[in-house]
Formats: sequence, C-alpha cells, structure tokens
Amino acid sequence: MSPTVVIADDDSDIRALVKISAIRAGLEVVGEAADGDEAWAAIQRTVPDLAILDVSMPGHNGLEICRLVRADSALDEVQILLVSAAADDASIAAGIRAGAADYLSKPFSPRELASRLAEHMGGTR
Amino acid sequence: MKKFYRWLVGYVSVDHPSVGLKQLPTAIAFVVSLVVLLFVPGIPITNQVLTASGIGLLFLATVLAALLTAWPKFARWGIVVPLIDFLAIGLYRAGTGGSTSLFGAMVVLPVLWIAAEKGRRYILIAAAGTVVALIMPYEVGILKFHDGTDIVRATFSPLVYLLVAAIVNELARQSRSQLHSIHLLVDEKERMLQRTFEYASQLEESEAKFRSADRMFRGVWAAVTEQSVIGTDVTGLIDAWNPGATKMLGLPWREAEGKRYVFEFHLDEELENRARELNYPPGATVLNPGFSALVEAARLGEAESREWTYVRDDGTQFPVSLSVTKRVDESGETIGYLFVAADVTQAREVARLKDEFVGLISHELRTPLSSILGYLELLRDDDEHPLSEEQEQYLGVAERNAHRLLRLVGDLLFTAQVESGKFPLDLRDVVLQQIVTAAVESARPAATAAGITINEDVSAGDSVTYGDPVRLGQVCDNLISNAIKFTPRGGSVTVSLSASDKDAIITVRDTGMGIPASELDQLFSRFFRATTATRNAVPGVGLGLTITKAIVTAHHGEMGVQSEEGVGTQFSVTLPLAARAAVTAG
Repeated sequence: MSPTVVIADDDSDIRALVKISAIRAGLEVVGEAADGDEAWAAIQRTVPDLAILDVSMPGHNGLEICRLVRADSALDEVQILLVSAAADDASIAAGIRAGAADYLSKPFSPRELASRLAEHMGGTR
Repeated sequence: MKKFYRWLVGYVSVDHPSVGLKQLPTAIAFVVSLVVLLFVPGIPITNQVLTASGIGLLFLATVLAALLTAWPKFARWGIVVPLIDFLAIGLYRAGTGGSTSLFGAMVVLPVLWIAAEKGRRYILIAAAGTVVALIMPYEVGILKFHDGTDIVRATFSPLVYLLVAAIVNELARQSRSQLHSIHLLVDEKERMLQRTFEYASQLEESEAKFRSADRMFRGVWAAVTEQSVIGTDVTGLIDAWNPGATKMLGLPWREAEGKRYVFEFHLDEELENRARELNYPPGATVLNPGFSALVEAARLGEAESREWTYVRDDGTQFPVSLSVTKRVDESGETIGYLFVAADVTQAREVARLKDEFVGLISHELRTPLSSILGYLELLRDDDEHPLSEEQEQYLGVAERNAHRLLRLVGDLLFTAQVESGKFPLDLRDVVLQQIVTAAVESARPAATAAGITINEDVSAGDSVTYGDPVRLGQVCDNLISNAIKFTPRGGSVTVSLSASDKDAIITVRDTGMGIPASELDQLFSRFFRATTATRNAVPGVGLGLTITKAIVTAHHGEMGVQSEEGVGTQFSVTLPLAARAAVTAG
C-alpha cells in the first residue's frame, strides 16, 4: 500500500502540479483542499501519512493547521511539508517551529519535489 | 564791591572778545573826554600838538583794532592796540594839563586790557604802559615837574596801576581757569548727552529687533500645528504648550502650563522600560526615573529622536516620533527641556500597508511563476512525448524569461525590504578574497561568451570584514555582471581587492560605454537607467545598483563611481575591516 497524502493549496494549478509530483513519487492522493478549513477536515478524515500545505490559504493557514495537527495526538503520524512563496529564513524557522518536517519555497521544481517526497516516505516506510 | 567784581569778571571773561570790542571802552572814553574838553568851559588844553597827537594816535589805534577785528588771523597782534592807547593817553594827558589832567584815569582801560591777558608778564607790560603814559612825558622833557606832588603822582599812579593790573591779571586767571573747568564740564556733559542719545537709539533699534523676533517667534509658535512642542523645567513641569500640543493632546495651554508634568502624557510602562534599558538603579535619583529616562540623551547634550507613545487625557494613545533637547540659560546651565513630537500613526499605517503590499506581491507573483516554471519542467521531463529540438528551444526561451521575471520579483521585494528597514543580514567574519574570487569565477562563462577578458587583481588577500557573505557576494555579482553587460566585445573587466588601514576596497573597472557625468548622481536611484544603457539596448530595469548600494550601506560601507563616456566605468566598494579581535576570534 502506497503512502497517502493530502494536498492543500488555494491555487488549483499549483495543487495539480504538487499532485503530479506526489504521484510520480509513488504517493496516493487521498484528499485535496482549496482552503485551510477543507484541508483540516480532510486531514482529520483521512489521517494521511503526509500533508502538503500551502502556507497562505484562506481560512486556517498552513502554519495554523500544522499546529492543530501537532496538538492532536490522533495525528501524531502525519508528516507535514509546507510550501510557501516567502523564502526567507524567518518563515522557514516559523514553519519548523510549528512542527513541519520540511519546507519548500515557491517556485519549486516538480522533479525536486518528487525526489524529496520519495525520500521522506522512504524514510517512514 | 561785589557788583564791581562781577562787572570786572564779566568784562574780562567775555569769551574771546574781539580786538575791536576791547578797544571800544577806550574809544568811547576818549569821545566822552573830547566832548567834555570841547563843551565844558574851564578845561584847559595846555598843548594843542600833544592833544592832537593823542587824539590822532587813539584814532589810529581804533582803526587798527577795527582792521584786526576784520582779519581775525592777525588778532594776535591785538596787544599792539592798548600799547598805542597808552601812548595816545599819555600824549592826550600831557596836552590837557599833565598831572592835573582830568583824563589820566583813562589809562586804566588799556591796563585792564593788557592785564587780563593770559600770563603774569602782562602785569609788567601793563605797568610799563602806565609808566610810558604817565612818566614818559616828563622824562622826554615834554612836561616838567612843577613840584613834589607831581613827582609823587607820577610815580604813585603807575604803582597803583601795577597793583590793579596784578589783581586783574589774577582775577582773569581765576576766571579763565573757571571758564576752562566750565568748558570741560560742558564738553563732558555734551559727550554724555551724545552717548545717551546713542544708547537711546541703540535701545530703540534692539527693541525693534526684539519685537520683530518676538513676532516671528509667535508666528512660528502658532503655525506649528502638526507637531506638538512642549517646554518643561528640569523637573518636567510644563511651562510651554504650543497649538500643536493642544491639537494633538486635546488640552488647552491653560490647563497644561504650570499644572501638568510632561511624563503624565507618556505610558508609564514605556518610561520604566527605558529606565531599565539605561540601567537606572531604582530610587537613586531625586527626579522621577521615568522623566530622567525621557531626557537622558538630551541631558548629556545629544540630539535624540525616538518613538514613544503619547497618552491623551481621555486615555487614547498614539505613537509619536519625539525629539528631546535641553534648554540652557546664558551661562549654559540647563533650565529645562523641549519636547517636539510628530504623530506617526499615519506613517506606521503606511509602513504596514507597504509590508502588506510586499507580502501580496510576493505571493501573487510567485505563485503564477511557480505554475509556469513547474509546468514547463513537466513538459521537458515528459519521457513519453519527447520534444523536438525546436520545441526545446522555444521552451528554453519561455523558461529563461520566467526566471528573469522571478529575479525581478526578488529584486523588488528586496528593495521594499531595504526601504522598510527589514533587511536581514546574516553577519559573520568574511574573507573578502573568497567572495571576490567566487564572483569572478561565476562570471567567467558569461564574460567568455561575450568576448570579454576578466581579470582578478588581489593585493589584500587577508582582508576580513564583518558581514553577510551571501549579500556581499550579491554585491560583487551585480557589479561584475553590470560591467560585462556594458562592455563591448573585445573589452576587459578588472576586479581588484585592496586595503587601507581601516577599509577594504573592492573595485570593478570596465572598458565599456561609460555613464554620462550628469547621470552619475542618479545612478543609485530605483529604476534609474543611464541613457547609454537604454541607447545601447542593454537589458535591465534599474534595480541592481539600488540593491548593491543598500547592501553596502547596511554593511557601513560606501560606494563610489567614476566614469568617462566611451572609455569605461569604475565602481568601488569600501567596507570597514573587521576589528582585529573579531578576526582572531573568528
């Protein structure tokens, strides 16, 4: 059984790009969300192995969801990858503090994302 | 006697009387004597020749006196007139009865004249004149002594006149001395009066100046309505409150001046924090520690401007930029402080909006660029449908331009960050040679492709500065890539690193098209492009040098540029060397 992933981004093109990369990395996309609230609901519903979250989304933003996930013991196993347009050190640090396993800044290379995903999932399975 | 004295003094002290005036009494006396002689019966003319000679001589003396009066420059010869008078009176007397003549007494008049002159010798001259007038006729044989009485009269009279002359001379001397003192006093009084007038006019002038300055001050004071200006004494008690303060803090001056303390309009918490920052031992100062914190820099004579929060009476708060300066009296003693504040609520709002805008750009431009670049990569990576060579080429152009756009967004963001002061620097000791060499090496392929020779000239390889290696690398990259862009094929770019006592200097010199001198001072402005750049269609938007300069400035360095159109341009970056301690520690 391949690892599961929930993808959340308010931009559908980026969401699709992430989805292609995830599939190429051998992940199964179990949920997609266009805002923070949908994303939080999908994570709670599907309890995926990985959540790829855009930092700035309507509703809960990526960092908030990250904190929610880390605060919920039922979701201990869920790894989080944050994607953001802000690439400075301060944002990355904030992401890591909020409990994200990795941080990716836009624009990203789908090839690189796929290899990083494969690496992460390989580590867990 | 007193009257006589007054008359005498009045006579002799007539201020600089003319020769004519002095001769006038003698002339009048003579005329009177003539009238008496001619019309009073029984007065004998004993010798007509002598009488006529006397009258003639006196006439001559009077004419001479008139002439000397007309020509004052010969007035010093005036003494001749009474001497002639003596002779005339002597002859007249001799001709009208000699010692029995009624007119011998007239001799007193020239005696008075001569005796009143300045100097004791005139006593003798007057006495000699008397002798001439009274005794000479006997001596020369014109007259003969009739008896002993004549002899006594002839010798006693000159003696009396000698005494009169002596008295007159002394009185005249005293009178002159008094006159001199009076003159001195008058002069002094006049000088004092003159000085008083001068002082009065100076006073008037300075009063006018003061009034004008006062009007100016009042005008300025009333005109400052957007800044609050508050004056206090050394304890913080308010003694000046301008219309700006009234507007800003909603309190008329009547309710503030003399009644309120300036720190009552501050947040206690902020004052306490500042006092802690300044390490004030609690309770160690007689003044309110919050107030001391407020005026600390001003007290030390430094100009300080920092942000504080003002609190109105109704409790509402707003941020201000506050400058505090001390007020001193003539002796330099501190007598209080001045607090000039501008409301920065709006400025803060603008800064916030700008930050928001920057964030928005960051997100809204990067997200579509992510899609473009991501999908272009997917196209290229599609192994099932490989692209034709032509398609690959088109794709390359699209990718290159998307990257260019991305760089532009990055530069814009960076510029905005610099302007809002949020400019993160990751500081450490940096060996500049490594930065310079890395930049030269990474530029080499582009230089080669453009047919440009790139040289590296390092004379201070051990220069270490304290800075952000990534940003400093960006500085070198920008300058070198600019130099390559602006240099035609066949030219050269030379990058050198040298050092002085305190600074390291990086220069990038090219043999390019140069920058017009008139444009050099705008070179570092945002979006500015030199005419040589636009004319030669060199790509760019005009942010590179703005960013470069911002980075250098953030490193406490300086940028310089020298350029000659058609010859080349040299940019120099001066960076302070790291302190020896920091270098050895690093």
